[in-house]
Amino acid sequence: MEEGEDEVKQGAILGTARPGDFLFLKGAMVSISGPGKKRFTRLIAFFPLTITVFVSLFGVSFAEIPKRIISLAPNVTEILFALGAEDRVIAVSSFCDYPEGTKLKPTVGGMSNPSLEAVVSLNPDIVLFSIDGNPKAFEERLRSMNVRTFTLRSRRITELPAGIRQVGAAVGAPDKAEALARETEKKISALEERERTIRKPQSAAQRQKVLFIIWPEPLIVAGPGSIADDALQMIGVLNISGNTVSSYPKYSIEEIIRQAPDTIFIGKGTGMDKVADGLLKRLKSVPAVRNRRVFYVSDYLYRLGPRTMQGVEELERLLR
Amino acid sequence: MRSMKLKIVFIVCIPVLAFGLSLVAGPKMINPFSADDISREILFSIRAPRSLVALLMGMALGASGAVLQGILKNPLADPYILGISSGASLAAALGIMAGAVFLGTFTIPLLAFIGALITGSIVGIMGWKRGGLWPERLLLAGVGLSFLFSALLMLFMSISNDEGLRKAMLWIFGDLSMSEWSKIPYGVIFVGIGVLMSLSRAKALNALILGDEFAHSLGFSPHKERFILFVAVGLLTAASVSLGGMIGFIGLLVPHIIRFFIGSDSRLLIPCSALIGGALLCVADIISKSVLPPMELPAGIVTAIIGSPYFLYLLRRKNVLSI
Repeated sequence: MEEGEDEVKQGAILGTARPGDFLFLKGAMVSISGPGKKRFTRLIAFFPLTITVFVSLFGVSFAEIPKRIISLAPNVTEILFALGAEDRVIAVSSFCDYPEGTKLKPTVGGMSNPSLEAVVSLNPDIVLFSIDGNPKAFEERLRSMNVRTFTLRSRRITELPAGIRQVGAAVGAPDKAEALARETEKKISALEERERTIRKPQSAAQRQKVLFIIWPEPLIVAGPGSIADDALQMIGVLNISGNTVSSYPKYSIEEIIRQAPDTIFIGKGTGMDKVADGLLKRLKSVPAVRNRRVFYVSDYLYRLGPRTMQGVEELERLLR
Repeated sequence: MRSMKLKIVFIVCIPVLAFGLSLVAGPKMINPFSADDISREILFSIRAPRSLVALLMGMALGASGAVLQGILKNPLADPYILGISSGASLAAALGIMAGAVFLGTFTIPLLAFIGALITGSIVGIMGWKRGGLWPERLLLAGVGLSFLFSALLMLFMSISNDEGLRKAMLWIFGDLSMSEWSKIPYGVIFVGIGVLMSLSRAKALNALILGDEFAHSLGFSPHKERFILFVAVGLLTAASVSLGGMIGFIGLLVPHIIRFFIGSDSRLLIPCSALIGGALLCVADIISKSVLPPMELPAGIVTAIIGSPYFLYLLRRKNVLSI
């Protein structure tokens, strides 16, 4: 009965709700009309109500779905494309490089220095930001000019599903967002389940020691609060740099030798293999290097978006 | 005279002690006489080359600062004022953007060294008029080039979307963690040549500080001496930037600190600035590794934080009116 009650509640407060809120209701209806006969009968029961609501707010809700979207963060852009909002994205930042379609979109400047003029002159319905990397002052400026904005606040992998739902609600694609969020949640819980059953018996000392290198010279690694650290915890290994004070700390080489990681991951970047060679030569006594357990991995874990879980699964596969 | 000898013995001992301390101290203490395999490896292949690079770099900065303040007759001159470091970082950035990885870990230091030498030559050409180098012209040419090159570097950084370039350029803000044995011979050669060149012209520098006419009357050719000293400064700065990027404070303030203690005779000022510069960077590096282990702080921050208050204290304390 829970979903039905929600529907009644939402219907009841519709009188006071802003028209845009109707988007949430639409999402709720779609989820009700999902599989299962029971749900279907429930829908029949509320049919008169839903149809009234639907008709009365139809026009308004469509006007509220943003048709001109600008995304200023690569991970938000990836989410938008995954939600099928590609055609409504009119411009992106110059850092948005995935998927391929982004390359056809005009850019309005970098992440930290987008051009206010370029954004405003495109007359966007909504401008999307990410909490890290985009300047907050820029968002406030747009708001003061009555441009709708949305900031994705998720930083950790566990916050990703909620973030996807929020983006979906903001751009009027709640159903697709729900599907993507559920898929992500399923992957997260599958990994957590595997960790509970397979790796839990191990004590902290028995866990594999892993180091995730973001950049080799100067040596920058994944610290606490970074996506890569989340991923390592999720697959039940010990991140040797998980106890520093910064998310992306400059790390001590002698400390790596002392900690002796069993596996080293190196995130891919330009000319990375050549640069990393020098570092690995100096780490030649470390078990990971000795036993050839140094892996170059994709850059999926550098962005919190639809590809993040693929990045986690990649690490999991390599460690298995 | 006796006390002067004592001071000099003291100044010679400090870098030796600093080097020894830097082998033992760090994120974890290592006892060199009872070290296990891991500690021994850390000692020989991580700490020893790093401390040597710190010493060499500090020596280069201290000596070139002392010489430059003399030939420019300006107490605010430091080795980076001639734009040599901006030229080095610009060359390194251009090389990385062009995909230059031909020499592995040597690529960036080499690019930086070449960039520094080219910039030094341009400054020299700009400062050259009527058969010689003129202090004011050198200074202004250096400042001008420095602005131009920093602006170009910022331009490339802001139009580039390559996150790798940004990270690869972090070294320019002072980074000793990349030090390894293979870089030390080059460091020793260039820093050695630079320091010896400066020392051999120290007497002439003393005369130059008192004025070109005075130097001339003592039998020195001001233009020739200034040129030799300028080449020495260029070599020292280029070597230091390519060894570990830019580290502030040492080149500017260590010579002043030395002047407080032993006066401004260049024959003593240059070697003592070099020794104390090296020791200071060595100690700063120990601190930068040890305060937040296993994280490392940029050594340049530490040199300024421990050095500046001491300098200000001396400035108040010592009875000197002009420096």
